[in-house]
Amino acid sequence: MNKDYLGEFEELVLTMVGILQEEAYGNAIVNEIKERLGRDSNLSAVHVTLYRLEDKGFVKSSMGGATNTRGGRRKRIFTITNAGLAMLRNMKEARTDLWKLVPRLNYDLL
Amino acid sequence: MAHDQNHSQSKNQSNHSVENWLHLLEWACPPSLYEGIEGDLLEQYELDVVALGESKARRKFIWSVIKFLRPGIILRNRFTVSIISTIMIGNYFKVAGRNIRKRKFYSFINAFGLSIGLAFCMLITLYIQDEKEFDRFHENKNSIYRIEEKSFDTWQHDSADPYRQSAWIQTGLAPALKEELPEVKYATRYNSGARGIFRYEEKVFTEEIAYVDADFFKMFSFSLISGNAERIFLDKSEIVLTPAIVEKYFGDTDPIGKTIRIDINGEKSYTVSGIIEPAPANSSIHYVILIPQENRPYYDRNLANWGNYNTPTFVQLIPKADLTTFKTNLDKVVDKYMGKKLEEWRKEAVVPIPADVKMMEYFFTALPDMHLKKEISWEKVSDPQYSIILGGIALLIMLIACINYISLSLTTSASRRIEVGVRKVVGAQRNQLVYQFSFESLILAFASMVIGCVLVVLFLPAFNEFTNKGIELTSTKVIQLLSIGFILTMVVGLLAGSYPSLFLSRFKPAQVLKGGFTSRLQAGFTKPLVVLQFALSAFLIISSVMMYRQMNFITTKDLGYNKEQVLVIPTQTGWNEEGNKVIEQFRTRAGNEPAIASVTGASTGFNQGYSRWGFKIKGEQKSAYVYSIDPFYLPTLDIQLVDGRNFDAAIATDTSGIIVNEALVRDMKWTDPLNEYYNWQEDSVGLGSPIIGVVKDYHFLSLERQFEPMFLSMNTKEMGYLTTMMVRLSTTDVVSGLEKVKTLWLELYPDKPFDYTFFRRRRGETIQKLSTLDEHYGVGHRICYPYFMFRIVWFGRNQCSESHEGNWNS
Repeated sequence: MNKDYLGEFEELVLTMVGILQEEAYGNAIVNEIKERLGRDSNLSAVHVTLYRLEDKGFVKSSMGGATNTRGGRRKRIFTITNAGLAMLRNMKEARTDLWKLVPRLNYDLL
Repeated sequence: MAHDQNHSQSKNQSNHSVENWLHLLEWACPPSLYEGIEGDLLEQYELDVVALGESKARRKFIWSVIKFLRPGIILRNRFTVSIISTIMIGNYFKVAGRNIRKRKFYSFINAFGLSIGLAFCMLITLYIQDEKEFDRFHENKNSIYRIEEKSFDTWQHDSADPYRQSAWIQTGLAPALKEELPEVKYATRYNSGARGIFRYEEKVFTEEIAYVDADFFKMFSFSLISGNAERIFLDKSEIVLTPAIVEKYFGDTDPIGKTIRIDINGEKSYTVSGIIEPAPANSSIHYVILIPQENRPYYDRNLANWGNYNTPTFVQLIPKADLTTFKTNLDKVVDKYMGKKLEEWRKEAVVPIPADVKMMEYFFTALPDMHLKKEISWEKVSDPQYSIILGGIALLIMLIACINYISLSLTTSASRRIEVGVRKVVGAQRNQLVYQFSFESLILAFASMVIGCVLVVLFLPAFNEFTNKGIELTSTKVIQLLSIGFILTMVVGLLAGSYPSLFLSRFKPAQVLKGGFTSRLQAGFTKPLVVLQFALSAFLIISSVMMYRQMNFITTKDLGYNKEQVLVIPTQTGWNEEGNKVIEQFRTRAGNEPAIASVTGASTGFNQGYSRWGFKIKGEQKSAYVYSIDPFYLPTLDIQLVDGRNFDAAIATDTSGIIVNEALVRDMKWTDPLNEYYNWQEDSVGLGSPIIGVVKDYHFLSLERQFEPMFLSMNTKEMGYLTTMMVRLSTTDVVSGLEKVKTLWLELYPDKPFDYTFFRRRRGETIQKLSTLDEHYGVGHRICYPYFMFRIVWFGRNQCSESHEGNWNS
């Protein structure tokens, strides 16, 4: 069966959700991406991606408790589902398999 | 992680502009997502304020908010909804199907009522659209104008409306305009409806003829099947035919170059130089056979006389012509050709005319606007109010159909309550139930739409007849109609389905499943609906009865003469003494026929046009309708004399005498009419015509008109030759009587076509035109209201019975 396909950014966001655990919400993911990869991402793009992942069943969300930062707004915390983990694992394995097929050319010697 | 907390001064910093942008986002964003997004935005803002400063942070914030206005966020709301209900759609279909099948009769009535409403709305839309699109198919529609004249009426002074407006213009105007005004590119005159005897080899029929100019073919977009628009009518004995005529006379042979003969007022030969498509039904101009204007009877005389108004005229202006200059130039034309005459008329006028009043002016109307310009009479002119009235009726019909639909749905609600209860217990959300019932209502509405479309196709010919239109269902029309139908169906289905579905979905499962509750489940809204429905139906019935009585009045009203079994036959002789002879001959020959009671002749039949003369008697403007007749006229038509006697062919002086109607006697304020003279010739020496008889007023004009002064004369030489023969049959067996008349006619005039109409029909036709709208309205409702009444009864019955049952089988 042709399983859902994940785009590059979707995969990245999903991975971040896995990394951040119970601290995975929109803004944290943006900052995490910036911190770890030095890549600027847009908050709205991250949100849309998260909702799409939720539709596909790779993450689920719930509202966290209120804090006195954020103007008192609650966070929507995303957690990765088993299906999401399986998806990430599949993609990683697939990539590793492919990577193994690339001939090991040593450019440095030339 | 490091990046939350610690910035508790936040609330003070989120100033007004930030709040405003958040409002925008709140409006666009699905509520379930909003809080998380808003929090993230504010958090980022707080961080940025520290890192980048307030103004930069705010700019970044605004930009982030704008970026959130993307389909992935905004459309999410609807998206989730559809995901939930698509799962259930299969089930909705199934349940809807079962319900429709279970209540076949009810479903049929419900769907049928709606389809009648839809069908009428679609028909009326077609009508309105046709009215709007009238004459719009011409390529040059924006530069073609109809010339009109508006003149001060010195004839019949009416202070409320002293002007006379008409599209009938002097024969000389079109050539003068084309020659003298720089704005005018083309000009054509157009006289339709003339009749002539058309003869090709052994085929002889009377045909309708239109007189136009060569420019006609360049101005209007009637397509030529053969012939060259630039060259047609260079010769004045050319003729252009429509395919139907070609088929009738020439069959399959090519008619171009063939010679035919037409007898209008004397016979002439014409060479066929073109074939033209007939005008579509939504054209103000129509024709069967076209010949050049120069062949119109008395053309030369009319061309020279600028006091005669006898031809409608169209001009096409050059591109970007200035209409104000055109108007000024038209005024100059009036001065040039009419100036002297107008001054004379002004002086002669009985009522003094103020100096600032223009005696006569030309105006013009753009071709696409002429159909709805009701002030100026034209054969197909229409009143824009008809569209409004019909639109109103359509709305009313739709409203009633909707109310019916709602109330009928509500009556069955009681039996659906257990279904609602079970669905809710199983876990249906209220909005799911709303969707379900709306969905069912839409299914039924679409079924109605299909029936409605079929009804439109079935009713269209009758509808065309009522409205005097020729609407055809072309593919574009069908698409338009379907889209209109679709929109209407959606609106009605949703509107009509909304109340029942909201009502039904409110049932409390515990209550309905326990049972024993009927009264509390009645929709509170039902009663006003029923009252409104009764009121509207009563309104329609009353208005329809009124219409019916009005129609009855027209068809059964005593006209003052006997119209039964009278045949009207044109003598086909032209306007000369020949006509008198034909009638004389026919009468002599018919004398031995028991089937024919009497034969008479007249200059004009009723409603075939009239002649009305104006003159001055003792300084007073008078006018009267004039018919020249023979002594058999009064007995043939059973017109009653109230005073004096009929004409007598044996008394020589009777040719100078006249018979007048009571209206004329009233007009002249005579007490003893038989000793009076009517000086209509404006004879300064003699007294005028002696009155030999007075007839009781009869409707020689249409029924809606008052009786107006009229006189009859035997002096055919001066008053007009007899061109219309009227034959009264003595038997009630019209078919054999007609056959007899036809045999006689063909025996006497084998080369003349036998065209006849029944008097009765002829009047009927005119009357029908007058009351098209009434008739349409009446018929529409005569179909509708028994149906609606039935529904009301059914509704009552249904409500009684439904409250005692309560079965839902799944």
